[in-house]
Amino acid sequence: MTSSVGVSPAPVTRAPTVQRAGPLSRLDTATTPRKLGLLLVGLVVLSLAWGVLAALTAEQHASAAANVVAVSEPLSLDAEQIYQSLSDAEATAATAFLSGGLEPAADLQRYNADIAQAAIRIEEASALLGSSAARAQLPGHLNKQAATAGSSTGADLATLSAGLPVYADEVGTARADNRLGYPLGAAYLREASTLLRGTLLTAASDIYTKESGLLTSASAQATGLPLIVITGVIGLGLGYLLYRSSRWLTRRTHRRVNYGLLVAGVAFAVSLVWLAGAFAFGRAELLHAQQRGSAPAEASARADVAALQAHADESLTLIDNSGVYSYQQDFVVQQKLLGPGPGTLLAAVQASAGNGSAASDAQAWYRAHAAVRALDDGGNHTAAVQSALYGQAAATFARLSADLTDGINAHQAVFASDARDGRDAFTGLAVGMIVASLIMAAGCTWGLNRRRAEYR
Amino acid sequence: MSARTRPWLRVLLPVLAAAALALGAVAATAAPGRPSAARAPRAAGAVGHASVPACNPDASSLRPSGPPQVTSGSFMATIRKRGYLIAGVDQNTYHFGFRNPFDGQIEGFDIDMIKAVAQAIFGNPDKVVYKAIPDSLREKDVETGAVDIVAHTMTITCDRLKDVDFSSVYFDAVQRVLVLKNSKATSLDDLRGQKVCATSGSDDLASIKAHGAIGVPVAYWTDCLVLLQQGDVAAISTDDAILAGLEAQDPWTTIVGPAISSQPYGLAISKQHLDFVSFVNAVLEQVRTDGQWKASYAHWIGHPVPAPPQAQYAD
Repeated sequence: MTSSVGVSPAPVTRAPTVQRAGPLSRLDTATTPRKLGLLLVGLVVLSLAWGVLAALTAEQHASAAANVVAVSEPLSLDAEQIYQSLSDAEATAATAFLSGGLEPAADLQRYNADIAQAAIRIEEASALLGSSAARAQLPGHLNKQAATAGSSTGADLATLSAGLPVYADEVGTARADNRLGYPLGAAYLREASTLLRGTLLTAASDIYTKESGLLTSASAQATGLPLIVITGVIGLGLGYLLYRSSRWLTRRTHRRVNYGLLVAGVAFAVSLVWLAGAFAFGRAELLHAQQRGSAPAEASARADVAALQAHADESLTLIDNSGVYSYQQDFVVQQKLLGPGPGTLLAAVQASAGNGSAASDAQAWYRAHAAVRALDDGGNHTAAVQSALYGQAAATFARLSADLTDGINAHQAVFASDARDGRDAFTGLAVGMIVASLIMAAGCTWGLNRRRAEYR
Repeated sequence: MSARTRPWLRVLLPVLAAAALALGAVAATAAPGRPSAARAPRAAGAVGHASVPACNPDASSLRPSGPPQVTSGSFMATIRKRGYLIAGVDQNTYHFGFRNPFDGQIEGFDIDMIKAVAQAIFGNPDKVVYKAIPDSLREKDVETGAVDIVAHTMTITCDRLKDVDFSSVYFDAVQRVLVLKNSKATSLDDLRGQKVCATSGSDDLASIKAHGAIGVPVAYWTDCLVLLQQGDVAAISTDDAILAGLEAQDPWTTIVGPAISSQPYGLAISKQHLDFVSFVNAVLEQVRTDGQWKASYAHWIGHPVPAPPQAQYAD
């Protein structure tokens, strides 16, 4: 080891150079150390530049990935939960109302829990939006999209927090009047449903659309390619230069290996593999999170919301079968949306989540609902109400709802875990790139300085 | 098809008629039809010698030929064969037609009239399928045959008589105004420029407009009370019978002002079933005389119980 590098070989190398007489010899002897010096500066600068660039790339993608997990994902999840809670509240309030003055305790608890859940989620989403520190880290164009989404989401959240107490108040008045046996109760319940569907659900769905759009963009940013390609090209350039330098030194100095450059080369290779690996893994996990997590969860959530609205329609039709508010017409609309059948929400659930029982449970519920309508239209209102509240219709809807809720929960868990893995892939990457570049710079300096020293 | 265009016409016609009436009232001293602000409970005298074909809402129906009988081949026989009467009713008007939340049954003064008809056809007052319909569908459902008969606090008017037939008058209502107890308004005239609620199929919107107030149409009378309680309208104006039901649901409201117009209630029946019209009139004759009318009035509306409206017929 020491013989090849350590012990001064200078006289040996200098001798042939000196022996090579002529006018060029001076130039040669003068330029080799200078060339070595230039090469040293070049390699150090490039190493450090590589480190900074790789660290920046890692950092930006890590922050985009973190943003997916930290802001957009929870915001769109909040919006979805608000939508679901409100839909469930409406369906439950209508069911409880239908059972008359003595509302079942379970319905009341469920309604109260729904309203509380919606309120908590609105609060959470507002807080999340308020502390949009994570959003500020978003790169360029995404930042703009985030700002637009942010102001619209803020307005929607204001609508929700202002409207929720009004809705709950109207349902409360409906219940009080219903308890007294006044038809006025049904009017308040209709008013409440109109407010819920016309204003509150629209705001929640608006937030969901904006934030999941941002989520998709942020995921694209976290998994996208442009900067990593530039970094990769520069990295390859640097690798080539290291290789050529090493070859040149070998020729110049007749040393087979320059250990300084070898260390730099190894550090470079490690950092390149780490960077590429982290990106490949992070990208795979985030794509996974979307494909196996958020996409099927969203499909189930959409189906669940349509089912809940149809369930509210079933109860509201029994409360007010008039033709003006046409809740039964809306039931038919929701049923068409829900499916099963090509292009329907349940078909999407089936395709992405592979949940087979939802489709058959939905059809069982439709049959039970048709029986309820037949009873009610045939003048047997009491039996129709019994079926909707405690009979076949109630049981089949409960099964459908449980199918869809289970699907949502399972896939949201998948998303959370995959997205976290994707984000964790970037942990320490930036620091690692800086450290690697410092090692590279140090390696080049050490290796080339030894050669330069031979000329002194 | 005429069935498609007609609903529009029916919305338009009363408005045009009301506008024509309002103009007529200004231009001439004696206007045909219902005067816009008559104090008199009936406008019968003014109608007889009008230039339009004779129309007297109070005396527009067929005279019955004796007690109610289900003759073979009649519409009543068809209903009996079917096994139940289909009645279009209100389920939101307290004391006339409303769903009792304690047992889920629709009941009220209107419903008692239907029960009397079912009793006469089947010997059983409960052989009825009730279809809850809003004000705006009353004529249409009779015309299309979706229901056999409508009992829905429905005022007999000349406009409606063009589309459907009515029984003789079974209840006399007058249009008045419901306000909150702290309201300064004492009549519809005090509500000029303010919002006043009525159902979209009612004939009250026209008279609200004629008094310079802004009509706010809703689906049900209870929706009007919601708007009144929430401060979105200043008053509700319709028949005192309906207003009394709203007042009963909110003790902080009160019925004010003079009778704006007369609102004789009839049971609406298709023009194709004239035999049924005269059958129902025979039933109503019984209801008026055998004490059912007074008992029903006492039960749903209260005391003192007036004499039932005297039946007048078109002949």
